[in-house]
Amino acid sequence: MTSAAQPPRREVVTGVPRGTRRRPGHAPARPETDEQTPAGAVHVRSLMRSQLRAALYALGTLVLLVGTLPLLFVLPAAVLGSFSPSAPFVWAVLGAGVYPLMWLTARRYVRRAERNEEDFTGLVEGR
Amino acid sequence: MNQTYAVAAVACVVLATVLIGALGLRISRTTSDFYVASRTVNPGLNAAAISGEYLSAASFLGIAGLVLLQGPDMLWYPVGYTAGYLVLLVLVAAPLRRSGAYTLSDFAEARLESPAVRRLASLFVVGVGWLYLLPQLQGAGLTLEILTGAPDWFGGVLVAVVVTGAVAAGGMRSITFVQAFQYWLKLTALLVPALFLLAAWAGDDAPRARFDAPAVLRQHTEVRVDDTVRIDLDAPLSVAVAGTVDGIRHEGRQTTLEEGTHRVESGTTLTFPPGADIPERASTGADPAGWSQPLAGGGDGYQLYATYGLILATFLGTMGLPHVAVRFYTSPNGRAARRTTLVVLGLIGAFYLLPPVYGALGRIYAPELALTGDADAAVLVLPERMVGGLTGDLLGALLAGGAFAAFLSTASGLTISVAGVLTQDVLPSRGVRHFRLATVLAMAVPLAVSLVAADVPVADAVGLAFAVSASSFCPLLVLGIWWRRLTPPGAAAGLVTGGGTALTAVMATRAGLAPEGWPHTLMAWPAVWSVPLGFLTMILVSLVTPRHTPPGAAAILTRLHLPEDLAARPPCEGARR
Amino acid sequence: MTGTALAALGAAAAALLAAGFALGRVTARRAAGSGPDPGTPVERATFHTLHTASLAAPPLRAGLTEDTARKAARPLRSLLGTRALCLTDRVTVLAWDGIGADHHRERVMHRVGDVLESGRSQSVRTGCDDPECPLRWAVIAPLTGEEGVLGTLVAYGPGESAVLVRAATEVARWVSVQLELAELDCSRTRLIEAEIRALRAQISPHFIFNSLAAIASFVRTDPERARELLLEFADFTRYSFRRHGDFTHLADELRCIEQYLALAGARFGDRLKVTLQIAPEVLPVALPFLCLQPLVENAVKHGMEDAGRVCRVSISARDAGSEAVVTIEDDGVGMDPAELRRILAREADHSSGIGLSNVDERLRQVYGDDHGLVIETGVGAGMKITVRIPKYRAGVHSQPGGS
Repeated sequence: MTSAAQPPRREVVTGVPRGTRRRPGHAPARPETDEQTPAGAVHVRSLMRSQLRAALYALGTLVLLVGTLPLLFVLPAAVLGSFSPSAPFVWAVLGAGVYPLMWLTARRYVRRAERNEEDFTGLVEGR
Repeated sequence: MNQTYAVAAVACVVLATVLIGALGLRISRTTSDFYVASRTVNPGLNAAAISGEYLSAASFLGIAGLVLLQGPDMLWYPVGYTAGYLVLLVLVAAPLRRSGAYTLSDFAEARLESPAVRRLASLFVVGVGWLYLLPQLQGAGLTLEILTGAPDWFGGVLVAVVVTGAVAAGGMRSITFVQAFQYWLKLTALLVPALFLLAAWAGDDAPRARFDAPAVLRQHTEVRVDDTVRIDLDAPLSVAVAGTVDGIRHEGRQTTLEEGTHRVESGTTLTFPPGADIPERASTGADPAGWSQPLAGGGDGYQLYATYGLILATFLGTMGLPHVAVRFYTSPNGRAARRTTLVVLGLIGAFYLLPPVYGALGRIYAPELALTGDADAAVLVLPERMVGGLTGDLLGALLAGGAFAAFLSTASGLTISVAGVLTQDVLPSRGVRHFRLATVLAMAVPLAVSLVAADVPVADAVGLAFAVSASSFCPLLVLGIWWRRLTPPGAAAGLVTGGGTALTAVMATRAGLAPEGWPHTLMAWPAVWSVPLGFLTMILVSLVTPRHTPPGAAAILTRLHLPEDLAARPPCEGARR
Repeated sequence: MTGTALAALGAAAAALLAAGFALGRVTARRAAGSGPDPGTPVERATFHTLHTASLAAPPLRAGLTEDTARKAARPLRSLLGTRALCLTDRVTVLAWDGIGADHHRERVMHRVGDVLESGRSQSVRTGCDDPECPLRWAVIAPLTGEEGVLGTLVAYGPGESAVLVRAATEVARWVSVQLELAELDCSRTRLIEAEIRALRAQISPHFIFNSLAAIASFVRTDPERARELLLEFADFTRYSFRRHGDFTHLADELRCIEQYLALAGARFGDRLKVTLQIAPEVLPVALPFLCLQPLVENAVKHGMEDAGRVCRVSISARDAGSEAVVTIEDDGVGMDPAELRRILAREADHSSGIGLSNVDERLRQVYGDDHGLVIETGVGAGMKITVRIPKYRAGVHSQPGGS
């Protein structure tokens, strides 16, 4: 390769600093305080409530199905003395059983949350 | 184990990671396929990437090792790791995406409009990230030591060099494809050998694993003790000893050890006859054996409490892990973030069906690992033990590759997210060069700690990271998303109190400061009280400082919960005046 | 031994707890700005007054609304030292601080009408039926803005007092100044927004003309392609002219570039070769609307200047931790660095440079000076433009197009 084939050299060019007129990091062209109208705020609160309900429902399911398992494994032994759940039962539940349950709970939640959002969109557009 | 295959497999994984990281962009050369290249990531790909990043070596090797040591109670770990995503999904996923935040500190700033809280959150992000990186590096050391006999620091240094090199050199142009590849690699690497092992197990008349009694050796076994251990004997044990036991030197003659506790010095070889019971390791306050602390603490009450401590830490801690939060940014919108999380739940749930299999088989076929403290190696040695021959070597190599993929993916994800926070909030100026510097820093600190503190029990840093994250970021995220009245002072106080006490308690336990009995259990598993403490502090301090509610709180909550297509509308007129 | 350790740990936990609370309180106090205050009573009084006024100022700087009035009313009342104080706008009571809200509040608006009209302070009897009520007299002072009287400040006292009249009038005047400043802030924000809108609406008329000409040339020979191009053109202009939102997703901006390149390709045919390399994780990054398309347009223009040659343009967007790095490179005629410097400083005018200085300015406006364009070029050396876009920046939220 000859030196003539090499492209001319490039130089780095940058623009002129704008100075300290605006601090970087705080230049919101649209300020955060864009409030909704009061009617909008009421709607948003109702959406939040319904989403929270859906979330708590799913969490409740999780606590009920999975969170109580340690008690379930321990209580019979405490109450009946020597009895303890058979090892295969623990293996089946913790090793495999809980995963589909959690996934189904999650899918149910996702559907419910999306339905809430659709209902909300319908409500707002129907206004 | 055939070292050549294993080394080749590890080299392949490293090479593939670097190549995909550098070249895994969507490239199009004609305008007609531009559309494909510029389409946002679909939930499937993104979910595989999230799962790939999440399934660390603690999942790949650690769970099997714990099950081998402690039995089915240890299955709470994978259950917790999975359930953490369910909690994340229902409470955090969509709003976190809609906040537009990349890191958790971004979220703190977006929600609370306070640079001070942002900086505090950054400290916790970096801290939790380093805690989580530490065991990745140590685990890599252990793995390479077992595979190739390299010194134990080598694996950690290798992972650190590969990750830092790839990230800092601008090689990780697109981490999504890397992580998605690593997920499928890890799943394959665990699934294929598992099928072979199960076939071998069935061919061996399917012996049952026993967890309620000492494991029994199936053949004449030599066990070399690398680190000094104390063993508990319930009955006299007849064994050939070459080395030092209880300070007495033996030269390979048959010896009978009496009931009680014995101290076996490092470098001693014990040779057991077939059918012998493997002695239990005597429990000590600080046990460096496992990835995470065993749940067994004596009586039922302790164990029940410890189980709930574990459940709370993992269920609530997942959402605050730095490398988990950043991946949600890749989803195009909140709804996609939810669907992605749903797929993630499926993918990691499927993965977690496998490690217990290795744990149970390890208890049958490699029980002596419990004695040497290398239980985490169970996954790696089983193919050679059970299948043997070339097939065994190849399967072992596949597992070694998978394990290394686990170190690389989690370590690179953590490094990138920690480095991102370091560039933004810690290092003075910004720029590409500073990101490189931050990457080196993000990796150097945990590497140095893992090298210096090789003998300090830091292996359960994963559990610690979860506990700290659950007590600090979980309150911040949950209250930030669902509670209007959260104030910056409240958030700061909650972060410090919840996260700080959890950190102090666990550190104190590991340093051996905790008295035996309940105080020990309480401090070893702090989540049960530190999570409520974090929530309570945040709520109470917020209630006393109502004047500091950020002015835009209502608008921000609206943006967090409103579907994007609605939020995109021009805001209603007449809102401000 | 265990007892000592336990005690030490308990102490450590307590200390940490206290530190947490203290940190919270300190963060809380910082905004309030109180501190130790040794000094003469006069100095203390002065400080107290100034401090009280400084508490009322920030809310008022956001304009006169129910929310800001509520926050400002308490410090204003303590400034005047009255039992009750009320802020109104032209129609309704915005805030009441102090006693007597139950029976005085609804009567206020009847009494302030005169002041709203005249713009002069008044002192009136409240005519309260309750003999126990200490609010016998009210001083009503106007709050004025640029467009006249915005509302009133009403201070209540037990008797007629010239001092109260004087004080209330002064306080009302001070509030008026704050409100005027608020209007000024607001119009400054509007000015910046208008500037951004004007900057981004600089679609070149040449481009429109050339695109339509290229489409027209296909109408007879390849009507299907003409139809597709026309649709691309429609999408492109719809995106460029959209009204709402200052920010967009990188994905949307890339789609706009794709439409632009389809139209440019129709004109230049095989002479234009484009390579696109996208890391999919940066597609959701929010960035100022139309800040990359002008750069691509610039690259294509430079490449096509030399008529006989094939021009290669490569666009890449890759992930770099907390930033996305976008580069746009062409192998065209390049530019004299000195001239480019003048163009970016807006000292020289150049047809192909308008886009560059415009984008540079907007990026600096939004992300700060660290994030301006970095251009590598030389005469005959092509040009490479690098843009670093932070993944998150307070106040930058993309609004997807469509509606």
